[in-house]
Amino acid sequence: MLQMSCDAVMSHIRRTLSLLRGCRTFSQSARSTSTFFSSSDGGLVLQSRSTDVYQNLALEDWIEANVDLQQRSILLLWRNRPAVVIGRHQNPWSECNLPTMRRAGIPLARRRSGGGTVFHDLGNLNLTFFTSKKAYDRQRNLKVVTDALRRIRPELDVHATDRLDIVLNGRFKISGSASRLSRKSSYHHCTLLHSADRSALATMLRPSCPGIHSNATPSVPSLVANLLDHAPTLQWEELLDAVVQQYNAEFSFSAVSALVDPADEAAFPGLSSAAAELRGWDWTFGKTPKFSVQTALQLPGAGSAVSSAQLVMDIKSGVIERCQLDVPDDWLPRRLSGELSGVLVGERFCGHRAAAAFTALLRCESGELQDRLKTLCDAVVTAMG
Amino acid sequence: MAMRAVLRCLSANFSPGLPQLSPAARLTATRPPWRSCSPRTLSTTSALSTALKFTEKHEWVRVEGGIGTVGISSYAQEALGDVVYCGLPEVGQSLEQMEEFGALESVKAASELYSPLTGEVTEINTELAENPGLVNKACYAEGWLIKMTIGKPEELDGLMDQPAYDKFLKSLEE
Repeated sequence: MLQMSCDAVMSHIRRTLSLLRGCRTFSQSARSTSTFFSSSDGGLVLQSRSTDVYQNLALEDWIEANVDLQQRSILLLWRNRPAVVIGRHQNPWSECNLPTMRRAGIPLARRRSGGGTVFHDLGNLNLTFFTSKKAYDRQRNLKVVTDALRRIRPELDVHATDRLDIVLNGRFKISGSASRLSRKSSYHHCTLLHSADRSALATMLRPSCPGIHSNATPSVPSLVANLLDHAPTLQWEELLDAVVQQYNAEFSFSAVSALVDPADEAAFPGLSSAAAELRGWDWTFGKTPKFSVQTALQLPGAGSAVSSAQLVMDIKSGVIERCQLDVPDDWLPRRLSGELSGVLVGERFCGHRAAAAFTALLRCESGELQDRLKTLCDAVVTAMG
Repeated sequence: MAMRAVLRCLSANFSPGLPQLSPAARLTATRPPWRSCSPRTLSTTSALSTALKFTEKHEWVRVEGGIGTVGISSYAQEALGDVVYCGLPEVGQSLEQMEEFGALESVKAASELYSPLTGEVTEINTELAENPGLVNKACYAEGWLIKMTIGKPEELDGLMDQPAYDKFLKSLEE
């Protein structure tokens, strides 16, 4: 990788980005003065210095929307601090354990591409291949990764499957893919497990609550492995360099990797507000396809008696549209279970919101009834994950 | 040239909404993709095709009694691959021509859908929730996506009829 002074890097990036946005005057001067342009016909490699999942996802969208990809292609390399990323049409409550994530401070992001749920951390490399629609070829992109790995560690048995996973030793998934096709161009991105925290991955990628019925796109769970476990001397930098080199070899580019900062508003105008939209509840949870929750709640009674209540909820755009609670009326008067259901309709499907909505209801009761109502409220909140 | 490309996008006209067939696919497809329907479907398509109008993003609209039915073309469904999920708008939602109104997720990618006309959504195809594959199997019939009112009938004049769309597809292959 070419080393450049900080100032040189920044001006080189600014020239590059102006070039990409088709600013004619800049490109003319760049053409004559920049060694970068003369050495990179058609391909560009960018590396994000951000580890914020929302900023990096917004960076992908920014590049897709603002760069003319008809004549050039881009490889973007990025990684995130721990986060769970779900696909465009997935249900976060069925894909990941939201309470556990909240406790661990691990954010949830919904990406714009399709596909399944993944756990990101600093040991996972993300690669995004930006091209025109004509040049969209996911198998070829994955070949860049597998050829790179085979070159630097020939002993590794890696290959891409029909599902566009990359599998190690015929059984461990080390990479998954997803993509997006928009108005002008396309991107295909994939993960690559170098040294991720596999136990965190397993813990987070579990349902939040039982009884979810939905036609959201499901994930296909796979046994995973880290490259580092099978190639203990494979350093992160070596992996990145190999991928960049192979990208250039595969597509006959001679691109140099450039560091970009998605937080730089001057270089990426509008990116911050795009990131803010991706962080918002409306996108992350509100875009969940319609689903219902049907589950039984266990209600302890006098002595060792346990009653059971049926909870059915319909949730659209993340908001509870309908709620039915069937509680034995010798356990709790129907009036109260009816009120509880009523209070939930129109609320976001969220345990905290439900708990807050219940406090007013609970204040109106006292004694045994209040205790039972509280038990029921707690059970409903738990059922919401 | 890059600037012109950006401006072209902003100035309202259409650009292909879905990927070209990859070179490998082109080699194996001995017939043009829009002829890949079975003979039965083909005759149905011909009967309807005089009423179909197409966008450059490979959506079609058929107007009957002031309501437009919208779907994606055979070329589009073939390029998309097996559809696994249809993200459609709400009934009552207002759409501007070329506004994104939903997305189709296929084994290939998530692809946005662009409204061919300005109007209001009157119906969405609820069959697609259980059976998104209808978009592939019967893209001009049971695989329709939404129905909408025609807010600006003059927009229809700007869309392509079947022969113009066929010609457009030929030009993409080059």
